[in-house]
Amino acid sequence: MIAEVLGMPLDYVVLLAYFVGVMGFGLFFGRYTSGTKDFFFGGQRFSWWLIAFSCIATIVGSYSFVKYSEAGFQYGISSTQTYFNDWFWMPILVLVWIPIIYYRKIVSIPEYLEARFDKKTRVMGTVIILLYLTGYIGINLVTLGKTMHTLLGWEIMTGATVTAVAVALYVCAGGQTAVIMTDLAQGVILLIAGLGLFAGAIYHFGGFGDFWSLLPQAHKYAFSDFNAPPKFSFIGIYAQDGLANTGAVMLMHQAFLMRFLSLKSVKDSRRMVICWVLVLAPLAAIATSCGGWIAKALVNKGELATDAGGSFVNAAHFLCAPGVFGFILAALTAALMSTADSLVNAVSAIFVNDIWRPYIRPAASDKHHLLVARITSLAAAGLGLALVPVFMKGTIYEAHGMFTAAVTPPVLMAIFLGILWQRYTPAAAFATIAVGSVLIALSFVWPDVLVGPLDFGMGPDSYTFMRALFGLLAAGTVGVVVTWFTRPRALGEIKGLVAGTQTDAMRQFKGGEPNRRPGGKARLTAKLDPSLAGTNTVIVPQSALDTMAAEPGDLLYADDVRWWYGGLHSVHVRAGLPAHSKADGQMLISPQDADTAHFADGQKVVVEKIL
Amino acid sequence: MNMLRVWPIVCEFGVGLVLCAVGIWAGLRGGYLDLKVSEDRRLLVAFVAGYLLLLAGACVFTFLSPHWAEGGTL
Repeated sequence: MIAEVLGMPLDYVVLLAYFVGVMGFGLFFGRYTSGTKDFFFGGQRFSWWLIAFSCIATIVGSYSFVKYSEAGFQYGISSTQTYFNDWFWMPILVLVWIPIIYYRKIVSIPEYLEARFDKKTRVMGTVIILLYLTGYIGINLVTLGKTMHTLLGWEIMTGATVTAVAVALYVCAGGQTAVIMTDLAQGVILLIAGLGLFAGAIYHFGGFGDFWSLLPQAHKYAFSDFNAPPKFSFIGIYAQDGLANTGAVMLMHQAFLMRFLSLKSVKDSRRMVICWVLVLAPLAAIATSCGGWIAKALVNKGELATDAGGSFVNAAHFLCAPGVFGFILAALTAALMSTADSLVNAVSAIFVNDIWRPYIRPAASDKHHLLVARITSLAAAGLGLALVPVFMKGTIYEAHGMFTAAVTPPVLMAIFLGILWQRYTPAAAFATIAVGSVLIALSFVWPDVLVGPLDFGMGPDSYTFMRALFGLLAAGTVGVVVTWFTRPRALGEIKGLVAGTQTDAMRQFKGGEPNRRPGGKARLTAKLDPSLAGTNTVIVPQSALDTMAAEPGDLLYADDVRWWYGGLHSVHVRAGLPAHSKADGQMLISPQDADTAHFADGQKVVVEKIL
Repeated sequence: MNMLRVWPIVCEFGVGLVLCAVGIWAGLRGGYLDLKVSEDRRLLVAFVAGYLLLLAGACVFTFLSPHWAEGGTL
């Protein structure tokens, strides 16, 4: 086993320290969870940079280092081409989807499907998304188990169990806050490990030019050939990843929806996506792919012998000293845990919000639902673990892959048309998902007939990728055709749920006309005032209101002056009538709101207008 | 010019342009993206700048980078 050859005791110590550190970090943040809003959305209080890091940690899965390094070894820098796709979805995400879910207080994808369409679409969406997410937890655990087996020699089930237990414990204790904070740490670790490896390699080769000259000519292009090779052609990768997968991450992935809802404001989503897509994603692309590029250069220099699959691990071991290699192993583990924890939290959110709360205990208290959410987190991790032996058999793993390929394009297309096209009808949405899924399932039976015409001359080897294009076109066509023969919902019924009505959603969120005048931030001192109890209102001086361009009744956000808390100590409140001059420089706040924000009396705060 | 290397850029940034245009149109419709507000204007500029930045990156690593190290140095 590789670990018996590669790993040193110091590497295992570093890996163990990482496990203990992440678990402790996650469990510590359990104290910030007092209700389901905290458990699922972290209290909607976090800053853009924190969410950007956690998004990157979630999107880089356990397989990323191995998969992208393998592609980097075989095809060069075009292994990063999938990261070019994200930016084009940003306008739809920032200007349509996030305002709709945030201002309409949509807590799950199925809830949106019912609000925009009807109940039967929601039920179908709930079943599909739960199967999709639970299967993904299992697949992630299998992948990590296999990685641990390769690196440490553990049985696959042992590695999967250790990781599942660690993830389940800190998600159960801390919910979304623990997920976000551990993902921040894990995002930093995986970026440092990957980029550090790249920097070390450049130093080893004697400079970037020398490294670059060791790569074959065909490895130096941003994109692979348009329709070659069949398993790594540009058009295949683009159809599957650029259109179907990236769209799914942006619009139908419950874990990302919850992450967007954890932001302190919709305005912060703008900075978050710019940081995520233009800064962190390219760095992550280099971090996950560079192992393959380095291994290729080392092989060409005659310093290393490796195959594509082992390129990341072998290149890392060649370049790293004992202990540092353990840090690289920790980064691999971080990539898995930061994806699995988000999936576990997402399954819990859908179970509680779309099954337990509406159908089983609708009248129960929030405390009861929080308990159910915690138990569901443990159960989701347990269910994912139970799927490990099933997925290890291969055929079921492939079946889940086929299921995912079959349902992702139809659900994505239903949401895409639902948010952009007012005329799109509930019957069409149902048909898009149901008929679209059936058509894609049939494409596995008659691939040459259904997918073949879209293969761009690449043949059956490309069908895995081109099926996504077929799925999008088939589901989209069904949706458009059925829409023209069925009755749409009245615009008044879908206000705030479709493009063109985002400002209506803002009004509903605020309960009044939004104040969008540009304003600054006011630095004040929090002072507890029991007379404000139960009002969710703060009293600030007129000068502070002027600085923020705010008026009484506007929604404000008060945050600890220490920005590096990322919003952990903060609260959303409403502006009351301005204070008299004797209260200058103070923000009067109720003890309950101060408790929610973790403010002490005399706390220095920064206040800004949200809406 | 090897068109097999050019078509990916045309496809990626052509379809990308359509997606961006749809999103911006959906923002402008109903007034949510209000170009009278400076923040919204900055956002629009960021979308365009990001698009051009990625396009520039794709062009550099298609038309220039393969020839960088032909002489062994940059």
